[in-house]
Amino acid sequence: MNWRRNLFCYLMVAPALIIVGILGIYPMLDTLRISFLQYDLLRVMSEGTPFVGFANYREIFQDERFLLSTMNTITFVVVVVGILIILGLLIAEMLNRDFLGRGAVRTAVLVPWFIPPVVASMVWTWMFQTDRSPINHVFRSLGLIERNIPFLTDITTYGPINLPLLAVSSVRIWHGIPFVVIFLLAGLQTLPKDLYEAAEIDGANAIQKFFNITIPLLKPVLSILLTLLVIGGLGHFEINYIMTRGGPRDLTNILSVLAYQQAFSFQRFDLAAASSMIVLLLTGPVAYIYIRDQLKD
Amino acid sequence: MDNSMTKQQTSQRAGKKRGFRPVTLLRNLFFVALGALVLIYILLPFYWMIKSSFQTNIDIRAVPPQWLPKSLGFSAYERATIIIPVFLYLKNSLIVSSVTAVVSTAVAATAAYVLARYRFPGATWILIIILFTQLVPAITRLFPIYFLIQDLNLLNTHVGLIFTYLGFSIPYAVLLLRGFFKSSIPPELEEAAVLDGCSLFGAFTRVVLPISLPGITAVSVFTFLGAWNDFLWANILLNRGNLKTIQVGLAGFSGELGGVQNMNAYMAACVMATIPAMLLFFMVQRYMVGGLSAGAIK
Repeated sequence: MNWRRNLFCYLMVAPALIIVGILGIYPMLDTLRISFLQYDLLRVMSEGTPFVGFANYREIFQDERFLLSTMNTITFVVVVVGILIILGLLIAEMLNRDFLGRGAVRTAVLVPWFIPPVVASMVWTWMFQTDRSPINHVFRSLGLIERNIPFLTDITTYGPINLPLLAVSSVRIWHGIPFVVIFLLAGLQTLPKDLYEAAEIDGANAIQKFFNITIPLLKPVLSILLTLLVIGGLGHFEINYIMTRGGPRDLTNILSVLAYQQAFSFQRFDLAAASSMIVLLLTGPVAYIYIRDQLKD
Repeated sequence: MDNSMTKQQTSQRAGKKRGFRPVTLLRNLFFVALGALVLIYILLPFYWMIKSSFQTNIDIRAVPPQWLPKSLGFSAYERATIIIPVFLYLKNSLIVSSVTAVVSTAVAATAAYVLARYRFPGATWILIIILFTQLVPAITRLFPIYFLIQDLNLLNTHVGLIFTYLGFSIPYAVLLLRGFFKSSIPPELEEAAVLDGCSLFGAFTRVVLPISLPGITAVSVFTFLGAWNDFLWANILLNRGNLKTIQVGLAGFSGELGGVQNMNAYMAACVMATIPAMLLFFMVQRYMVGGLSAGAIK
């Protein structure tokens, strides 16, 4: 009986496991393999793909575009994840209260969810068009600025931060809000009400309740969310690629976009594989924590 | 004595609270203003897209921009369908996304069910592999999968694209459904069915699946949207015009014809690319919120 039950289990997981193996584990290992080969599409015919050890890694670490893209990736993740969590907590906390029009506000907050990333990128690119930007128009009308802000083309940098990178980040933040809010709202609704009542009797105000009850109790939910956002951010591609192709002057280039260009614009699949292994390496520690936590239950 | 102390403190605090009223009012105003700003941030692009799609291609060029269209018209929609084959691309996306959703939900549901219910040798390892795969960034898998699809002669086919999507939707779907089966479906039901002579698989298809419809609906919507929204894979795996999905078609449009004079037609195409996902969203909104929270929060 026991072996029949086990057989049933294996048959049930087999299709999923095979697909995950072919499209998840194998490609990752193969990328690792390619990163140690010379895999220049223009030279494959004549020279094949000889083993070159760490040469590709040495090459990318001497490449300024790679170093800039790595820094941009980290800045992008810090900005996007930081602001998303703060905004998400604010909105979720707001939606967790009763007020007139809550249903409408909740639906409004979910709007970015059904906007495809390509569409979101294009609409925002259109809204960031310097002369025709509604944002510039408002700022000018309020007298906040005298000249239109060139959101996507300003090349002034402030340390690791620059305007195009912030503009692109704001689109990613915009697109991520629904997921974060729903996730946090679900978490907030599991918190015990009596703790809040007890705190109210003790005279705690809303801010004290938020920092002394909500945040500590929400910690498990926050840590899952944080991992998912950090991993999603480190491997992000679409919005940056479509809005700016990594420009101007690689200021918005992030590692996934760079790897894509190395492969499909410069035919250097070896450098692309090495760069994308660095993305995987960066996600490693976060992924480890996530898997450990998920297996605890 | 202790009791009276507390009472005194409570009344003191209550008094304090009353004294703070103006501050509370100010704080509420601050939060209302902040909420309004956030709502504008979320809704402005949506409005701007729709507004632009109804403008004429003279009005769309206005500097400064018009907040309300001076004349409403569908001319941009007509032009969009002339410039790119929007309906063909939408049909392609619909086929690819629907097949992906059905296949991956079916494959994921069977795996998620046994992973949620039974302990069997290797179960933890299988779960680790699936969790891990979910976390491997697309870019780290891009090149080998591209070569694999090429070797299988599936470049420029919808089958190749759907197969690729399965690798991304299944891990995610397994984890969500596993959470759902664990938290929302009581095991007693199938145990009773099995005692009544139902096979293990029969208990799953006839007892568990019918009552899991909310979770299954939510997961198939997510996988559908995942495929619908994808740009990266469709862009590298399909390069023949009549097979393109709507996302790739849109991105190509912006590359070649993205001048301001076409912006209204472009925004019209964007609206059309959003409508199917939007309809789906409104149909299943209530399942989605419940289904996601069941899977995400244990």
